[in-house]
Amino acid sequence: MMEMLAASQGLSINDPGFWMPLALMALLFLLMVAGVIFDGFDVGVGILLQFAPAEERGRMMALLSPWRDANEFWLLLSIGFFVAAFPFAWGAIFSKLYGPLALLAMGAMVRSVSFEFRIRARTEHKPRWIFGFWAGSLMTALGQGMALGLIVTGYQTDAGYGWFSIVVGLCAVAAYILLGATWLIMRVDADVQRRAVSWARHSIRWTAVGMVAIAVTLGLANAGIFYKWSNTAHLGLAASLWVLMLCGFVSIEMVLSRLPGQAPRLSWLPFVLCITLFVLMLGGLAYSLFPYLILDDMTLWDSAGAIGSMRLVLAGAAVGGPVVLVFNVLAYRTVFGKDHR
Amino acid sequence: MDISPLFLARAQFVSSLSFLAFFLAVALALAWVLLFFKLRARYAKQPAWIAAYRFWVRIFALSFVLALAAAVPLLIQFGSLWGSLMDKIGNVAGPLIGYGVLSVFILKSCFLGVMLFGQRRVADGAHTVAVFMVATGQLIAVFWIMALQSWMQTPDGAVIVDGRYQVYDWLAVIFNASVGWRIAQTVVGAALCVAFLMLGVTALQALRRPLEDGEKRAFKAALILAVCASALQIPVGIESGKMAARYQPAKAAAAMGYWHSSATPELVLFAWPDKHSHENLGAITLSNRGGSWLKQDDKGVYQGLDHYAGMGPPVALTFWSLRIAVLLGLLMLAVSWLTFLMTLRKGLDPSTLPSWWLRVLIGMMFSGGAAVVVGWWVNVIGSQPYIVSNTITQAEVLGTVSRGVLAWGLGGFAVVYAGLLAAFISMLFYAARYGVVPVRKAGGTS
Repeated sequence: MMEMLAASQGLSINDPGFWMPLALMALLFLLMVAGVIFDGFDVGVGILLQFAPAEERGRMMALLSPWRDANEFWLLLSIGFFVAAFPFAWGAIFSKLYGPLALLAMGAMVRSVSFEFRIRARTEHKPRWIFGFWAGSLMTALGQGMALGLIVTGYQTDAGYGWFSIVVGLCAVAAYILLGATWLIMRVDADVQRRAVSWARHSIRWTAVGMVAIAVTLGLANAGIFYKWSNTAHLGLAASLWVLMLCGFVSIEMVLSRLPGQAPRLSWLPFVLCITLFVLMLGGLAYSLFPYLILDDMTLWDSAGAIGSMRLVLAGAAVGGPVVLVFNVLAYRTVFGKDHR
Repeated sequence: MDISPLFLARAQFVSSLSFLAFFLAVALALAWVLLFFKLRARYAKQPAWIAAYRFWVRIFALSFVLALAAAVPLLIQFGSLWGSLMDKIGNVAGPLIGYGVLSVFILKSCFLGVMLFGQRRVADGAHTVAVFMVATGQLIAVFWIMALQSWMQTPDGAVIVDGRYQVYDWLAVIFNASVGWRIAQTVVGAALCVAFLMLGVTALQALRRPLEDGEKRAFKAALILAVCASALQIPVGIESGKMAARYQPAKAAAAMGYWHSSATPELVLFAWPDKHSHENLGAITLSNRGGSWLKQDDKGVYQGLDHYAGMGPPVALTFWSLRIAVLLGLLMLAVSWLTFLMTLRKGLDPSTLPSWWLRVLIGMMFSGGAAVVVGWWVNVIGSQPYIVSNTITQAEVLGTVSRGVLAWGLGGFAVVYAGLLAAFISMLFYAARYGVVPVRKAGGTS
């Protein structure tokens, strides 16, 4: 399979020009998945702040603080790695996503400043920063979803596509709410947990709508991707992915309906299932687009820098990778567990 | 006036850059000042230094948070406003940006937490090392940013092949012709920015109440820093000007308000450069003194703006940005040296200053920051219409985003920046007035 892929690019499998972009792509994919999950539950809890009673909001933000330093860096790290690894696709993609990315940039900025400033603000100003964190989280989720909506329709800008990307944006808000709420279910007990179950049950159907909408649009809008998912050679893979995702949604719903009363020991399960769903979806997306970064236009080999530049980037990754890994393992080793106070 | 997408993109990029430049300058220099406080506290064994550290580390934390947050919009705008720029300079810019982000990641994840929240948890020596690493890490991150920014002004070590820069010598790319003076400018500018911020804040406190020992020490340190940095900025400024004349003659000509090439250029001190008549209105000039800051061709003729028909920067904006930067620099020089002389026999003690002079210092609180921002304008706006000197224009890499969307983006960023700047200033004044209470951040244990 690798030989075929190399041959399709007219390269040998041992040619650095062939394997370097692949290695960089794998790293970038890992960074993005980690960012969506770890920054995602952070964003989700942020969006939920306005639904929570005012006296619980401070505690909800404090719950995030052990991972905050790690969570907030994924965005900058993945953008930085993306530009270093695939500079030629980076500008082309970003310029097509100006609107959603501007929203994302403002949201990310407001939320990271709000979080840090809230800790240091005088008491009477804290609610303002909580509001800022909420607004920033909402903008971040909307921006990411709208960007995804544009990517799956091949960056069309006609009116109908605009509405589609707004719908995907709202579904992304729901998906992050689901992630944040299931994390809270795992993390806390009592009243906030009860509320989180209800938030999760409301958001799960919109998450499902969003994921199906993306899959269907991706398939219908691009013949190549439709073929990838429907040809008989890979039908087993496609079918099992769909079955897995369906099972994921159903099991989350089943566990949620038994929480908090009947199945307290399973409170970690919805979050883990939710992560699985997100990984499956991102994996499916990556499988659909591969080997393109811009569909039918720019493959990852077209978008990677010159060999010398890639060598420098890989050298940086070799130094930075272990630091990133060790730091994050240390930071996240306690993320799956109860908050005991 | 017809507002073009190009104008909106430039306004957005320059405003993001200015916001980042200000807070980066504060964070960059304050980290070194804090290291100095920390070392004094450790070796001079005077608790007053700890008090000074406690107060200023709060201001450092606020500006670091803002600078880090502002890096995201700037990076995103770098790609989304100048859509095809990376297609041309990706081989150079990609790794440099990557290293910059990696440096910030390492300094933040490994050392910043210890510096801000670990003072009680780790040994004092380890804490001092963390402060040192944060200060060094910031300098390294700034080095990568400035390497890219100065390479875009003096693109060495790479050639354009089929419309795309290909690197043939990485050392020449990184240590390009202008990187040294640009970093010197950044460091001296940051030092002035922080020195005057500290002088102003302490003056504000001195007006209200008797100063504590730590505040007096902070003032003393800031004053010595201001005296040194304001003297150092003179050679740095002069050399940067000469470098611009050598490598970016159009920028130099615009900054000098020099319209018509001649062999005996006048030095225009003040004027209003009129872009329609190509003349300076109401000019105050020194005849035949402008030569040092202009490019001279083989025949001894100094190149004016007429040499770069249509390919020069906006003259009035470049001209006045430089004038304001120079005036601010001279003002800071005068104020810091006068303050130094006034307090020299009294142990550099701010409480001995008359209250009107304290008000002058309060007025100068943001002069260093303003000079940093205006200095960036000279640099970036003066390079227009190019984004990479003499090879790539901003217009040719501008994306296809519509005017309306760009205007919304500009408005949104303006609201966010204004709100955050106001919040920073209000928290600064509140801290100056009522002091700071140490904060805790929940650790990784649960």
